[in-house]
Amino acid sequence: MSAQPAASPREWPDDGPSRVPNWVYTDPQIFARELDRVFGANDWLYVCLEAEIPKPGDFKRGQLGNREVIAVRGTDGAVNVLVNRCAHRSMQVCTASRGSAKEFVCPYHQWTYDLAGNLLGVPFRRGYRGQGGMPDYFRPEEHGLQRLAVTHRHGVVFASFGAPNESLETYLGERMLGYFDRVFDGRELEVLGYMRQRIPSNWKLMFENIKDPYHASLLHVFLVTFGLFRLDQQSAVEMDDTGRHAVLVSRRGAQETNEATAQMRAFKRDFALRDPRLLDPVREFPGDATVVMQTLWPNLIVQQQSNTLAMRQIVPRDARSFDLAWTFFGYVDDTPEMRQRRLRQANLMGPAGLVSLDDSEAMLLSQAGIDNNDDEACVVEMGGRAVVNERHMVTETAIRGFYQHYRSVMEL
Amino acid sequence: MIAAAPGVAVGPELRARLADLYCAYDDALNDGALERWPALFTEACVYKVIPRENFEQGYPVALIYCESRTMLMDRVVALRETALFAPRIARRISSGVCLRAIEPDGLRLTASFAVFQTMQDQPSELFLCGRCQDRVVEDGGTLRFAERLCIYDSTIVPTSLVYPI
Repeated sequence: MSAQPAASPREWPDDGPSRVPNWVYTDPQIFARELDRVFGANDWLYVCLEAEIPKPGDFKRGQLGNREVIAVRGTDGAVNVLVNRCAHRSMQVCTASRGSAKEFVCPYHQWTYDLAGNLLGVPFRRGYRGQGGMPDYFRPEEHGLQRLAVTHRHGVVFASFGAPNESLETYLGERMLGYFDRVFDGRELEVLGYMRQRIPSNWKLMFENIKDPYHASLLHVFLVTFGLFRLDQQSAVEMDDTGRHAVLVSRRGAQETNEATAQMRAFKRDFALRDPRLLDPVREFPGDATVVMQTLWPNLIVQQQSNTLAMRQIVPRDARSFDLAWTFFGYVDDTPEMRQRRLRQANLMGPAGLVSLDDSEAMLLSQAGIDNNDDEACVVEMGGRAVVNERHMVTETAIRGFYQHYRSVMEL
Repeated sequence: MIAAAPGVAVGPELRARLADLYCAYDDALNDGALERWPALFTEACVYKVIPRENFEQGYPVALIYCESRTMLMDRVVALRETALFAPRIARRISSGVCLRAIEPDGLRLTASFAVFQTMQDQPSELFLCGRCQDRVVEDGGTLRFAERLCIYDSTIVPTSLVYPI
């Protein structure tokens, strides 16, 4: 981590969370502070699904914040999250993206670590024929791989670079935990595959996108026309007590002209799929909601849109770029028909998604408009200036909630 | 040019017809004539764009997953009428097309592809590269793709995959 300036480097505009200054999306100093305070502090960051590393020794490389980590299942069955950096000369000890290991051996000087990151061996530690070697005071136990605090719930692994002072359950809060457990209800998960894209925009625009139900009714023809997510449907925007986590909840509506759809240019009454198998959603979760999009501070979106389920992990790269890593999944007890349905509906999501393509392109165009306009601010005033839970979609309250929390963490 | 793997007997006429099919495919995409693209597939075709890591590990999720010619048509209509995206030009180049086997359910071919992308006011860049695994069949006197898997090498897609590859 780079040294942080003590004083706030910038002044937030007067109108509180209803204005977001453009420099939060461009300033490298702000980005460095985010790596420290948002991604490198005591928060629980999403790492992976347990189903990705089911057996002892199974590992997967990934990024937390912008740092390389290895998630590995230890011989005791517990998941360890280790920074992928040899304690000797900082070389990456693990180069495979996934696999199974008994130990990690640095390719440079063969320093060897066990699956919990403990340093097991240093070649020529005692020198050769009485010459050289490490000094007597060298303590291997002080030179392990950096190991993160880890927790998990119902098959989902989280870790923290700091020392979290609250459990994951407290961190999420009762309301968010309820939505989390709706998808992660304890059933065994099945990984269906990955998608990954590099988006030339600030990482926060991704969160704002999924905290903004207003855009969905205007931008996404697919969602609007087929009633997958539209503001005339019974909906809710809810947050935890801090505003850092949120959900957008809605239920499917009909392809019909009404007072609301008449205002949506995106609504196409006559648009029909020639092969309707692409959109053949069935209800699979208790309750009325057919879509729950959950944004969990600071790096995860849990997507349940009809029958397509995915973890979308945010990997910030610099102020103007982030990677979005999608892990699609279902349940081990899915019928073949349900599995097929999930694969078909994945056509709506990801870098080529008939819905989410609009979003990655919108973020590209947003950043292009933000760049070199640092004195300007974005207006986030739909539904007023307050941060409150709402039973409708014509609001930007969850974006305000996000920035309310962001400002307190960042001291801006 | 269509090559053939050792032991695969193929006459000049079939080679020429395959070359025409592969050329017509790249042409349809490079001309921006997406409407010509579904006609190069059979009615019950499978078309997928899948990252190499999913393919090699047996994960089924694909970025584009079409199970019929009409699904291809739906995607074309969706791109034309519903999607928002920044203007761009995509150029697809096939190379090393090779007939690997002649089987009862069709001809098995592989090919390398590279797709270059030119965003407005930006220099051209390599967008994706990889290989196709194809099954080509006789369909009413015309050669068509019954199956085309586009397996791209990188894990990362730059921003968005707008046009099929």
